[in-house]
Amino acid sequence: MCFVKTFAVVVLLLMAGCQDNMNPSGEDKRPPVQTGIIGNQVGQIAPDFTAESTINSAHTLSSEWQTHDAVVLYFTMWCPICDEHMSHLRATYLSNYPNVQFLLVDYVNGSVSSARSAQLASGYGAMTVLVDIDKTIERLYDGTMGTTIVVDSGGIVRMNQSYSDGSKLGQVLGELP
Amino acid sequence: MGAVFTLSQPLLAASCCGGGSSSALIMPKFAKGMVDVSFSAENYDGYWNSAGQYTEDPAGSDLNQYRLSLGYAHRLGERWQGSVITPHVWNDNQYSGVSSTTQGMGDTTLNLWYEGFDNVKCVWKIKKPEDWIPASYYGLSMTLPTGVSPYDDVKNSFDITGRGFYRLDANLLLDKTIYPLNATLALSYGQYLERPVNREYGRYVEPYDKQLGDRFSGSISGGYTQFLDNMDTLTYTLAYAYLQEEQGTINGAVDTTTGMNKQALSTTIAYASMDRDWVFKLTLSHSPKRDGYGESFPVTNLITAGVNHVLR
Repeated sequence: MCFVKTFAVVVLLLMAGCQDNMNPSGEDKRPPVQTGIIGNQVGQIAPDFTAESTINSAHTLSSEWQTHDAVVLYFTMWCPICDEHMSHLRATYLSNYPNVQFLLVDYVNGSVSSARSAQLASGYGAMTVLVDIDKTIERLYDGTMGTTIVVDSGGIVRMNQSYSDGSKLGQVLGELP
Repeated sequence: MGAVFTLSQPLLAASCCGGGSSSALIMPKFAKGMVDVSFSAENYDGYWNSAGQYTEDPAGSDLNQYRLSLGYAHRLGERWQGSVITPHVWNDNQYSGVSSTTQGMGDTTLNLWYEGFDNVKCVWKIKKPEDWIPASYYGLSMTLPTGVSPYDDVKNSFDITGRGFYRLDANLLLDKTIYPLNATLALSYGQYLERPVNREYGRYVEPYDKQLGDRFSGSISGGYTQFLDNMDTLTYTLAYAYLQEEQGTINGAVDTTTGMNKQALSTTIAYASMDRDWVFKLTLSHSPKRDGYGESFPVTNLITAGVNHVLR
């Protein structure tokens, strides 16, 4: 019985440090946003950048938003979850919004050649993939796995959150002027 | 991603009549308790995409997860036993430009089992129809989200050690031994509980309610027991396992980007002392790097070494 008690105490102590998941919160903890300034939050002016694609063409974000209805950036690390998201994005939104620029952002590979290999191996050779070699895009947009950014034709951030089930992206694209 | 998606492996031990299924942690009929310690090393080697096509990881990737699981089973009544399994997880990943080493507690499982028999069901020879009746176990499990999940302060899926959801499972285990052969069927159906989410991969998001899809797992195995001169035994087991998770929901609407399945083959060798009080096990589990053996799931190879000690 001594072992049982010891084991129970150890488990309870370990579980005491897991309150976030044991007692999950639905409280909105997003920080307040000051709109009209340069920043990556919704309503802010999108930070500009220039990045190389996997076929060695330079893309400047401001040029993209000026020539499209909007720009969608999706941060991928080519994992199964990312594949689910990208597959959904491609099937659901790509052809329905021909004047929206969809750009995948490879923020993990660090070189054009390896990003291109991952792109082709994952079956997304037809999409444009930006290679975030020096992590500039990741830093500017606080991007991580599955982060999806929408910038409208005025350069304003309209969405910055995880792709999740893709419904938010659909809503944002649907509300574009 | 690893511990979260690991298949439940029917690591049959040599202990008689259902004792020693390590992941289920079921102890023999007349034992008072059982301690289980196991160590697993899982190597990730690509994944199946949503269309079931095998996809390589980027060149230079080396993704590994190590788990040390501690389990204890306790007899609660003549036909009842309960158990708890808690893992500690180490992630060690090199994924192209990302290097990540994290550790933490995994998800804890509480189990309650009812034994559908009074006498041992292992036989040496079939003499009457009743001798065909297997040992049957009916169980309920609750998974507690004690691990680090995507809804904690993590950067990506390499850092997580748990799913982040409570889950209730109904379990059935049928086990028949006609020496020197044995066979086992294990079935499990689980439902996650819905939870609020206000953070994903370290970023606070607009709160929403999320529920993962129902989970089914099944495995079938067959084994052969070799008796050594001192009556210790070696049992060799081959098993096939299937795991499926349906699509989940977000705010009640189906999330079509979720859902997955996976198949795996495993082989186990178990050494048991004559009295079956000590069982040492080594399991190799393999998933084929071929199309059609899974969807939206990593392809992994797993090696597990463990020991059970039965308390009389």
